[in-house]
Amino acid sequence: MEKSGPVQKAVVLQPFVKLVRLVARAFYDDYTTKSDNQQKSARSDNRGIAAVVLDALARRQWVREEDLAKDLQLHAKQLRKIIRLFEEEKLIMRDHRKETAKGAKMYSAAVAATTDGRAEDKVKLHTHSYCCLDYAQICDVVRFRLHRMKKRLKDELEDKNTVQEYGCPNCQRKYNALDALRLISMVDDSFHCENCNGELVVECNKLTSEEVVDGDDNARRRRRENLKNMLQKLEVQMKPLMDQLNRVKDLPIPEFGSFLAWEARAAMAARENGDLNPNDPLRSQGGYGSTPMPFLGETKVEVNLGDGNEDVKSKGGDSSLKVLPPWMIKEGMNLTEEQRGEMRQEAKVDGGAGAAAKLSDDKKSAIGNGDEKDLKDEYLKAYYAELMKQQELAARRNQQESAGEPTSGIQSGTVYSGRQVSMKAKREEDEDEDEEEVEWEEKAPVTANGNYKVDLNVEAEASGGEEEEEEDDVDWEEG
Amino acid sequence: MFFHIVLERNMQLHPRFFGRNLKENLVSKLMKDVEGTCSGRHGFVVAITGIDTIGKGLIRDGTGFVTFPVKYQCVVFRPFKGEILEAVVTLVNKMGFFAEAGPVQIFVSKHLIPDDMEFQAGDMPNYTTSDGSVKIQKECEVRLKIIGTRVDATAIFCVGTIKDDFLGVINDPAAA
Repeated sequence: MEKSGPVQKAVVLQPFVKLVRLVARAFYDDYTTKSDNQQKSARSDNRGIAAVVLDALARRQWVREEDLAKDLQLHAKQLRKIIRLFEEEKLIMRDHRKETAKGAKMYSAAVAATTDGRAEDKVKLHTHSYCCLDYAQICDVVRFRLHRMKKRLKDELEDKNTVQEYGCPNCQRKYNALDALRLISMVDDSFHCENCNGELVVECNKLTSEEVVDGDDNARRRRRENLKNMLQKLEVQMKPLMDQLNRVKDLPIPEFGSFLAWEARAAMAARENGDLNPNDPLRSQGGYGSTPMPFLGETKVEVNLGDGNEDVKSKGGDSSLKVLPPWMIKEGMNLTEEQRGEMRQEAKVDGGAGAAAKLSDDKKSAIGNGDEKDLKDEYLKAYYAELMKQQELAARRNQQESAGEPTSGIQSGTVYSGRQVSMKAKREEDEDEDEEEVEWEEKAPVTANGNYKVDLNVEAEASGGEEEEEEDDVDWEEG
Repeated sequence: MFFHIVLERNMQLHPRFFGRNLKENLVSKLMKDVEGTCSGRHGFVVAITGIDTIGKGLIRDGTGFVTFPVKYQCVVFRPFKGEILEAVVTLVNKMGFFAEAGPVQIFVSKHLIPDDMEFQAGDMPNYTTSDGSVKIQKECEVRLKIIGTRVDATAIFCVGTIKDDFLGVINDPAAA
């Protein structure tokens, strides 16, 4: 069901879910909601409950905590305690909302969209809490946690240059060895608190502190042994978790967005699918507050753009022949004047095809899609067709005008067209030079997609980079 | 670590020094003012080794004092984390010991003293190995490594360790 959301088209949730499950078992396995002084009987032993909750959350997106409690057959209070723990540990996002019946309905609609299941009409008039796993943060938190664990053990093992800390037992104030000069008292040879003049004690954060008391050789060796063991065990036991972290590192992280955004999106998706949901927020006329839902519907435009894009791609893919567009022709390419001008069509076909194939190879490796070039090609084809037509028209007109003197008329006609062509060629060279701006202006409205812009950028740099560099060089020499 | 650097200072000179040996007066006042001070940025100014330039004096309204911008070369001492220093022990207590390397005070806490050294209270508190071969007490010289510095605007304090290879007592005048 988590796959049905409109959000994660590209992202794969599976590795992240696995990560969460591993984390749950590694760190929250023995978490219990009971306080320590309570007598633990076999029945009330609820160890592993945190893992269960995390697993359940990994199967959902945003979920109302009451619903979660119901699904897990847990007491709401108990669940809330665990949820609060996870919130403190930065594993989940929470959202609280004072809800009217309609708000609740909207959530139900959203749930119906993501679960395509029933959504119970729960109508209550008080604050509801929602929670959702924050995968991005989970990755960071877990990595940091592992790092800290290892660092602490290693420091301990090597007695790594740690600045000793001292604490005041009375006022809980903390000092470290750098404060020593201020803390030393004239009366006796111990440190005294600046606040309450209480005697400071060494903050013992040693992991195996029982044995540190006596400094004899044996105890020290035992301690080191212990630490080494612990470090080894840590490495072994955390191995799957670390592997999973590494696997997840380069993947796109699933984002559900804030609760409101998610809800709106889910509702939109439901409407798009044509679900005649009685709880649909649009039909229920007005969501929370009095914001009409159609506003939130605007977000869908982005989705449409993406789809349209794919259409373009498929259309462009049909034309197998890659022709050389004018912005690829540079000074360095040995194209004759005719090829640039009059013989343009041929140049495009034969000289261009080779170059285009060559270019398209590294382009494809660098950029990943050539559809943008296709767009340009089509644009160019149209442009040339129009140009040819105009030239023909002009030539014909010239011929008609100079019907009396056939020889000169033909000459003038050819001259005229030649000038046209050369002008055009010049214009193209100009375009070459400042094609960055031109291309941007022309293409920007067509391709208002994020991906696309990046590609364009690369393209522009790839073709215009050399000239820019040359210009830069000149500047430097002049300066 | 010691550095030889050029510093600048605006010196205020009383009108009574105006005369034939104004310059000597200025320099001696500079030495009195600067040597032995500590700045967080450069460390302790150990000694002035030369005067580069003395700029034009500016007479202050009302007081008659004259301000000279003086550029001078000096030797500064700035302790760094990880640096190895030789220091003289000044105070030993159960929390560790204090030592001085020139102007810098260094504290070595008990857990950064090798584990086989035990604190011995008494008339002359000290840290001693179980076989009594090594003893850290007042006045003895130790080689230590700085593991932390606290640099204030006008003071530098260090924390050191002797729990590493080749660190520890290097000379004990009391034992000799």
